[in-house]
Amino acid sequence: MTSSSSSKKQAQDPPETSEPTLKSLKTKMTKSDEKKKLKDIEISVPLVYGNIAFWLGKKASEYQSHKWSVYVRGATNEDISVVVKKVVFQLHSSFNNPTRVIEEPPFEVSESGWGEFEIAITLHFHSDVCDKPLSLYHHLKLYPEDESGPLTMKKPVVVEHYDEIVFPDPSESFLARVQNHPALTFPRLPSGYSLPAPMQVDDNGKKKRGDTKDHSLGQWFTSFSEADELLQLAAARQQVQAHIAKLRRQISLLEGQNQTIKTGSDP
Amino acid sequence: MGGTDAKDILHGLPKTPSLSLNQEKKSRPHKESHRKPDGISREVYALTGGVAPLMPSIDVNHLKRRPPPDEKVAWQWLPVKSSARKDDLQLYHWVRVVNDVPPTGDYSFAKYNKSVDVLKYTDDEYENHLTDPVWTKEETDQLFELCERFDLRFTVIADRFPLSRTIEELKDRYYSVTRALLRARAQSPAELANHPLIKEPYDMSRDRERKRALSMVLSQSRHQEKKDAEILAEAKRITEMRLAARRAAEPDVPANENIGSVSPSSNSQLPATAVAPSTLTMADYASTLASLRMLHVYLRTYGLEQMVQAASSAVGLRTIKRVEQTLQDLGVNLKPKVPTKTVCDEHLELRKEILTLLNLQKQLQYKESEGSSHREGTYAAMPDTPKDRVFASEPFSFGAERPIKKEQKRKGPGRQADTPSPAHKRPRKMKASDL
Repeated sequence: MTSSSSSKKQAQDPPETSEPTLKSLKTKMTKSDEKKKLKDIEISVPLVYGNIAFWLGKKASEYQSHKWSVYVRGATNEDISVVVKKVVFQLHSSFNNPTRVIEEPPFEVSESGWGEFEIAITLHFHSDVCDKPLSLYHHLKLYPEDESGPLTMKKPVVVEHYDEIVFPDPSESFLARVQNHPALTFPRLPSGYSLPAPMQVDDNGKKKRGDTKDHSLGQWFTSFSEADELLQLAAARQQVQAHIAKLRRQISLLEGQNQTIKTGSDP
Repeated sequence: MGGTDAKDILHGLPKTPSLSLNQEKKSRPHKESHRKPDGISREVYALTGGVAPLMPSIDVNHLKRRPPPDEKVAWQWLPVKSSARKDDLQLYHWVRVVNDVPPTGDYSFAKYNKSVDVLKYTDDEYENHLTDPVWTKEETDQLFELCERFDLRFTVIADRFPLSRTIEELKDRYYSVTRALLRARAQSPAELANHPLIKEPYDMSRDRERKRALSMVLSQSRHQEKKDAEILAEAKRITEMRLAARRAAEPDVPANENIGSVSPSSNSQLPATAVAPSTLTMADYASTLASLRMLHVYLRTYGLEQMVQAASSAVGLRTIKRVEQTLQDLGVNLKPKVPTKTVCDEHLELRKEILTLLNLQKQLQYKESEGSSHREGTYAAMPDTPKDRVFASEPFSFGAERPIKKEQKRKGPGRQADTPSPAHKRPRKMKASDL
């Protein structure tokens, strides 16, 4: 037990409290707390990915019938670059440079073409967030579901999916850095636990905004309502629970009857 | 599984130790039979799955060999004599004649005319050693006669045997009589120790079991085989996942236990929810959560899928389908469109409750059938039988009442509404449409 100063060991011990100044805390964080994990806390990033496609109408040629954009955005159009470092869109091999790496928000690729295909979207995160990338898959949709209808230029085809990136056991430094950022949802911290004072975040104003709130295609974005979904589920659960209660009554009634019949029929 | 199981059964090797108690396994020169014979391509041999081929294979080099140039080969239609035939029947055969010299000696197929030495017993021996409550002496005599005549081809013997006895019964009688005779005639038990019939006695029940298992495996459709393979793969995946989870969970067990109770709020709402599956799924949930955490990053939808699978791991495919059908009937998306944490938790709770509901339904049906068996038709005030489909297909109709009303209408004007027909009392058989 001489110098087993693995990062984990240190992480369990409280930081040496001889000089509890902000400065010392800060240097500590960059060193060992990088690996410090917070148990039972998860940070999630609600996001939406999908595509918007416009039919080109008269200008449509055989190979260029649609203009489309594929993208990943924050679910409420907040800037997700606080977590996402870069996004790689893997297009069909018939495109020039089919691997598109987008390092700045908004994370999107606009192209024109005629065919639908699956696009692999790989998210890479900042080093304090997670080393592993995460892949999403989106099937590019150009033609409306209802194929009988005439193509229209007025309304684009929009296909979006809501999902959340979940970081179980985030590192403390990550949590401290992104604390209260609108693009993320946080759990309630365990009582008695307090985060170190948030490091001075420099993006309030200085940094350019990376959100998609005034995106040119913003009017077509789907808004996903958690409330609707919850309402639906609550109604369903109520129905099921009522039925469960009813079945329980019937069963206990029957048990009673069987009991009396058994005892009654015994000689 | 098909291939290996069939192989095991064909070889008749016991799989479970309990079956092999009375049988010492011979150390057979297995490896030799498994080696790929020359001249067969690896891919073709792989198709046999290592099972000994049914057809004798001919060495390919033998077929490729060219006859020596000075050899003149002709085929002639010649009379043959076989030592296998005791009568003087004259048969002909195409014979390969080399350089005009017809082959001499016995007919080449005569060597296959093998016969079995069936033991004979005297009347005294029968009286002393061979009596059996099920078999009379006449029957035993008849059996031995047929055994001699058909060289122990028991399928034929069973066909000719005048009484209806199964092949296994015939075999059992023949071998037990033979064993008893051998024992009675032997001077010392050591003499018999290596006799095949004593060393590996015929076991009727095992033979039956072997045949049953073999016919089951061989009559499996490809679809079933595929399903079995899928289930095995799934089981393997789950075991691996749990193993990984256990390894991950070991250092901090208490933390996991907290997670195990996914949402205490709903559990307190329904204190008696704990029908069989929920305890199982708790463990599954915990291990799934632990393995998700190992990922460090995952998509919420992926997490939900894993949790749904964990919840379904303890129930059958039928039940899973019924849960999904119920979800649809309730107008709930099978996969949430906005899978936030709360939505996913609620979704899982709903699925759990539906499982409870289906379980209760089963219980009720069981209780009803139990009850109706007690009271033979004089029954009047049974609560309504639940339908397999709990909720009417239109969403948000408070469905619990509805299907039952429909059912009552169906009874028609001829009957009084409160005396259901006897058929109605029986628990309904599940129909394909209910799935």
